[in-house]
Amino acid sequence: MIKSKYLLGLVFYFIAGNIFGQGLIVNGTVTSNDGALPGVNVVVEGTSLGTVTDIDGNYSIQLDKPNMTLIFSFIGYKTQSVAVNGRSEVNVRLEEDVSQLEEVVVIGYGSVRKSDLTGSVTSIKSEELIKSPAADPVQSLQGKVAGLQILSGSGTPGSESYVRLRGINTLNDNRVLYVVDGVIVDGGINFLNNQDIASIEVLKDASAKAIFGTRGANGVIIVTTKKGTGDAKISFAAEYGVEKVANKLDLMSGPEFARYINDVTPGTYNNISVLPDTDWQDLVFEDWQPMQTYTLSVSGATEKLNYYLSGGLFQQEGIIPKSDFQRANLKLNTSYKVRDYLKIGTSMTGILRNTTNAPGVVSPAYWAWPINAPFNADGSFGEVQGSGNPLAAIEYSNSETKAFRIVGNVYTELTFLKDFTFKTSYQFDIGNDKTRSFTPVYYVSPTQQNEENDLKVEFGENRSWIFENTLAYNKEIGVHRIDAVIGYSAQENNSEDLTGTRENLLGESEDLWYLNAGSTVNQQNTNGSSVRALSSILFRANYVYDDRYLFTATFRRDGSSSFGANNRYGNFPAFALGWNLSNEAFFPAGIPLEKLKLRASWGINGNQNIPFLDQYSVIGAGIDAVFGQNEAINSGATFSGRPGNSDLKWEETSEFDIGVEFGLLEGRLSGEIDYYNRLTSDILVLLDLPGYAGAGAFVQKRFNAADVRNSGFDFVLNWQDEVGQVSYGFGVTGNTVKNEVEGLGEGIPGAGTQIISGDLGNGQRVTITEKGQSIGSFYGYKVIGVFQDADQLASTPRLSQQGIGDFIYADTDGNGVLNADDRTIIGSWIPDFVYGFNANVGFKGLSLSLDFAGQSGNQIYNGKQAIRFATLNYEDRFNERWTGPGTSNTDPKASTGGINYNPSDYFIEDASFIKLRTVTISYAFPNPLIEKLKILTASVYVRGTNLWNSTDYSGYTPELGGSDSAIGGIIDLGVYPTTKVISAGLNLTF
Amino acid sequence: MKKLKYIILSLICLIATACNDEFLERAPLGSLTAGNYPSTEIEAISATNGVYNTLRLWHINTGGFPLLDIMSDESRKGSNPGDGSQINLFDQFAFTASEGNIENWYRALYQGIRRAHLVMEKVPQIDMDEDLKNRLVAETRFLRAYFYSILARGFGDVPMVTSSETSSGLGKSSRQEIFDQIIFPDLEFAIDNLPEKSDYDADDLGRATKGSARALLARLYLFLGDFTNAEKYALEVINSQQYDLETDFEDAFNVAGEHGVESVFEVGALPENNLNLGGNQYANTQGVRGTPNYGWGFNRPEHEWMLFMGGQDPRLDASIIFLNEVVDGVVISGDATTPDTTYTDATKTEILEIESYNQKAYASGDGAQAIWGHNRRIIRYSDVLLMAAEALNENGKTSMALDYLNEVRARARGGNNAILPDITTTNQVQLRQEIYDERSRELFLEGLRFWDLVRTNRAATVLGPKGFVQGKHEIFPIPQSEIDISDGAIVQDPRWNN
Repeated sequence: MIKSKYLLGLVFYFIAGNIFGQGLIVNGTVTSNDGALPGVNVVVEGTSLGTVTDIDGNYSIQLDKPNMTLIFSFIGYKTQSVAVNGRSEVNVRLEEDVSQLEEVVVIGYGSVRKSDLTGSVTSIKSEELIKSPAADPVQSLQGKVAGLQILSGSGTPGSESYVRLRGINTLNDNRVLYVVDGVIVDGGINFLNNQDIASIEVLKDASAKAIFGTRGANGVIIVTTKKGTGDAKISFAAEYGVEKVANKLDLMSGPEFARYINDVTPGTYNNISVLPDTDWQDLVFEDWQPMQTYTLSVSGATEKLNYYLSGGLFQQEGIIPKSDFQRANLKLNTSYKVRDYLKIGTSMTGILRNTTNAPGVVSPAYWAWPINAPFNADGSFGEVQGSGNPLAAIEYSNSETKAFRIVGNVYTELTFLKDFTFKTSYQFDIGNDKTRSFTPVYYVSPTQQNEENDLKVEFGENRSWIFENTLAYNKEIGVHRIDAVIGYSAQENNSEDLTGTRENLLGESEDLWYLNAGSTVNQQNTNGSSVRALSSILFRANYVYDDRYLFTATFRRDGSSSFGANNRYGNFPAFALGWNLSNEAFFPAGIPLEKLKLRASWGINGNQNIPFLDQYSVIGAGIDAVFGQNEAINSGATFSGRPGNSDLKWEETSEFDIGVEFGLLEGRLSGEIDYYNRLTSDILVLLDLPGYAGAGAFVQKRFNAADVRNSGFDFVLNWQDEVGQVSYGFGVTGNTVKNEVEGLGEGIPGAGTQIISGDLGNGQRVTITEKGQSIGSFYGYKVIGVFQDADQLASTPRLSQQGIGDFIYADTDGNGVLNADDRTIIGSWIPDFVYGFNANVGFKGLSLSLDFAGQSGNQIYNGKQAIRFATLNYEDRFNERWTGPGTSNTDPKASTGGINYNPSDYFIEDASFIKLRTVTISYAFPNPLIEKLKILTASVYVRGTNLWNSTDYSGYTPELGGSDSAIGGIIDLGVYPTTKVISAGLNLTF
Repeated sequence: MKKLKYIILSLICLIATACNDEFLERAPLGSLTAGNYPSTEIEAISATNGVYNTLRLWHINTGGFPLLDIMSDESRKGSNPGDGSQINLFDQFAFTASEGNIENWYRALYQGIRRAHLVMEKVPQIDMDEDLKNRLVAETRFLRAYFYSILARGFGDVPMVTSSETSSGLGKSSRQEIFDQIIFPDLEFAIDNLPEKSDYDADDLGRATKGSARALLARLYLFLGDFTNAEKYALEVINSQQYDLETDFEDAFNVAGEHGVESVFEVGALPENNLNLGGNQYANTQGVRGTPNYGWGFNRPEHEWMLFMGGQDPRLDASIIFLNEVVDGVVISGDATTPDTTYTDATKTEILEIESYNQKAYASGDGAQAIWGHNRRIIRYSDVLLMAAEALNENGKTSMALDYLNEVRARARGGNNAILPDITTTNQVQLRQEIYDERSRELFLEGLRFWDLVRTNRAATVLGPKGFVQGKHEIFPIPQSEIDISDGAIVQDPRWNN
């Protein structure tokens, strides 16, 4: 029977062939649940014949034979094979491939389904990332990721942001690790164009970070750049904005300042009304300076080739003259399937960056006397007392940095035995920068002049490479799902710098800003270099049973040249468990709670950003002797600097995390809450050695000898719903931190129990790090009033320099004597709570979104107010000063320096804030309108950034980042001000 | 190419991880790590020079200031009243174990010892000229003995470190052990292996000699009250015929007399206001303050010593720069913030001090910079003569003692036979006092007086009024930080326990 059927078919074929010749044409429409599917690949099985569906999902294909089979494939959908069986119309409905569509989260060395995730990982998609006008894409994460604190760094255009995860992990370098398309980069990601980023994943708990071993402790941010999808697409994005200082400081006006000086030295200014009244901030800051960014990209994917090519331009003038920043990006991501089992690919980012190094005029503009005029009658710069003339400082500042950088990853993936994938990749990060700084001859005043022009040229170069090999195994057997990776990685980082300075150039023209044009007298040069190497093995296994029970084990072993010979290798294990309760049979159906997942993790991570050269004892040259009848230097060399510690090793963080994820009300409400508790031990500190060790006076040695604990909660809540045609949503993120130093120098005989730091630059140091307190707590006297009269002065403990009208400091130890022992903790720069919330509402193509960010419970030391190296202008709070008994019990009498400027809580200010980070109104043009223009999508938007900020902080911004070293706290010594920005943009795809 | 090597290396490492060590072994670039240095003859010399460098460190001189002089009855803090007022603690014997100057001095001495150990550990293994090798090791051992002798004399029992490893966990060794196990063997080795001063090239003057080792031994034996050995080594120096007294007393200190016939051991320095360029700030701290600006003006000569010297001894004027004196053609006007005369009380009857400066730490030339070039004289031949006289007198050899004492007085006379007549007494007690007094006149502000008073049990009498407490101030306290860091291994000397 079967045979005859075939025979019949064969006969039919010949007849049909004869009748229709080669001309059997099949038409049809491919659809999905959402309607027509354009761009679906239609291939005739066993041939090279194929076509693609048009915009309406229609296709037409000519067959050799009427009983051939068509294969329909499209990314995100299950591939379908359909036998034609002689039909002339074959319509197909493709089903979504759930396994492909389910949210996938990128983790180190792989990715995982969101539902299988056992660690604490936050994923942010590109829509959110393009919401910030800043050059640094990380800025857009502010308020979006629970546990992540993002503040401006130096604040200058193009500068790197300050990013800290879940508190302050170490007394030293707290910077998170960035991984861009698998490349572990040095420093931040301000070299990336945010338009090129597909997603950013923040790895928060020990289990997620453990695969990065000795570099994971401070947190890991994984950046995945865009790849091509579907048909070739051209995208264009443009944004133009203007910015101005968000908040001007309240400084004294000319008359107020003159009256103040008259209080200090009566009769200094007799006719205040004739004095100039200069507002230096108005003169220095420029309003509504432009910033603009453009990105053009082409991307697409075929079965074999995937490509994404983009070029971007970012330009910002800056609100201070000569602080502009420009960046040009080129991005190319490609992959090609050479064979079914072999894929090659690259991911490259190249940038050129020009930065005009902002002249340091923020503090001078603050300090400059408002009774000095900026210009003399003849138009020359006027002499400004206190700080020099800020306008002249701008005029004579010429410093520009030009940088080039390329970050790339070239890889090959080999799939074999169905379940195994071997990947080998070579990654590199190469960059150089050169800075040229020229100061011409000028004269403004005796203290603001340059008698000989001078030039400094600096070259820096970084080269690093990573060679990585991983073998992955993915298998699904019934209810078991296994997903494992094992790998080996070697990395080397090199850097070198070279600087030269010369004076007396042949002229001042920019053409002469090269060292050769200068005099060799007093010329100087420096050259240094460093190299670090790392070799690692890594392993991770995820096991999922029945979508209910999840288990992850991770291990990394790092060998690093940064560690002393006696501690060269570190092991970093982690384990995590997850339980999808809502997948259990016993989980009640029909209740509003649909999704419930519990997870817990524990692991050990390291921080290898340590001063690694301190492992070596170094022989220094130039330790000479003088001998001879005709005395001469006899060169000598011997031990120099710190004695090396060959036991030096990474700082180690062990962290416990327990979390719950839930979904309610048909997915409208979702959230996550985590409790974390992380102890960092072996933190590096400099400690005294016994004198007999022979290191010399004041020379210390670095030891792994402090412990810090951070603990708290992270939470996220999101609500998303639709009412009719209006969709809307709210989201909240929050993070609490309790930071405490649990040990300092313990186990090291005689080590100090506190570290005093936070130097204002005038010898005053305002922070202390000691057991039981948070890192770098502010330290000084507590002001409890102002001495009103002689009686009070006589009856109250005081410092000998204090008199009537000066502060009364609290006798904190209550012993009736006021001395240095009465200094106490007067604040902390580490916030207790960092949070954000957002709201969005959409109607048809129109949408409005608001993002808020804030933090609370932290303080800033207003150092610019406390530094009084000369008579300088004051903030207007000093107008409320004590001028006689009963006039003020909070602000002291007028003075130009001295006892009232000692470190005290008078200079501590609350730096809590809440601000409207961005507000965006956008409109997406409807399809019918743009289709005629052959445009796929088009949208326009208007955005305001930093339009509203509520804070008690008196400075330009409470969003000050600290230095890389945490013990110095956060001190405001005059940063580049934060700006408010109004911008408009356009996005087109065609 | 190197990159390629590492890539291949890391490929191999996929299979065998043992080779990782080479990949991970990265020395710091642009600086030499300790370990193989010194390994050549040239490096041996420069490592030895590095030990000498210690002699110019700021903290090697009792924490930057000539505290030993200030603690004696020869000088006061100096400078203007407010400057460096913590130094008064030493003038008044009010200092404690926490005083930074003591800690820094102690640390600098051990720093020199560590540098010496680098030479002693490595140089013997170098394939080089044997004579030079022995000389360098001997120079180094002389310096190590010198540093240890300051520690043992100054602090009593101290940790005995014998290696350049920055060890920890050491306790104290007794002063006697330090002398017996380190100082005496080192100096004997130095005597056996060092050349005489005249055997050095002119370019090498300033290096340790047989004579400097013998003279230091004589000084230390005298300190310990071993007059037999003190006599022996002092006479060996004298009999070596290497040294003589300068005709003019001033030449024993000034630039003209550097490495001169009277110099047994001195610290070479160049007129540069920077340690790294060869300068020594020792004299700068004591230089004339104000106009002309030669320095900070610390270590002010005690008015009482001026009275003691009387009006005739030329060494008074040679040792002190007075206001309005003309030195090298420059009028000394002094410092506006320093009172010309300070009285002991409001009635202004008794002078406490007059503005004046230490001329033994002066160097002619271009102002403040020149003074950094002052060569500090550690051991002078006249000290050797007086040590010989003192030891001989104690050993009953009176006439020889008188010869050496009178040799010093004869030079001091400067040709004026009306003053400083020869001493003729043969009474041991009287002669002893004459020698003590001569040491005070001759060796004023050379850091010797305080120890002279201590070793001859006169400190309580002479310094008692300043605050000296017998049974306590004969030594310095071990720095408090050292005790704290040692975690119990090092305890304070019982004399300083309260």
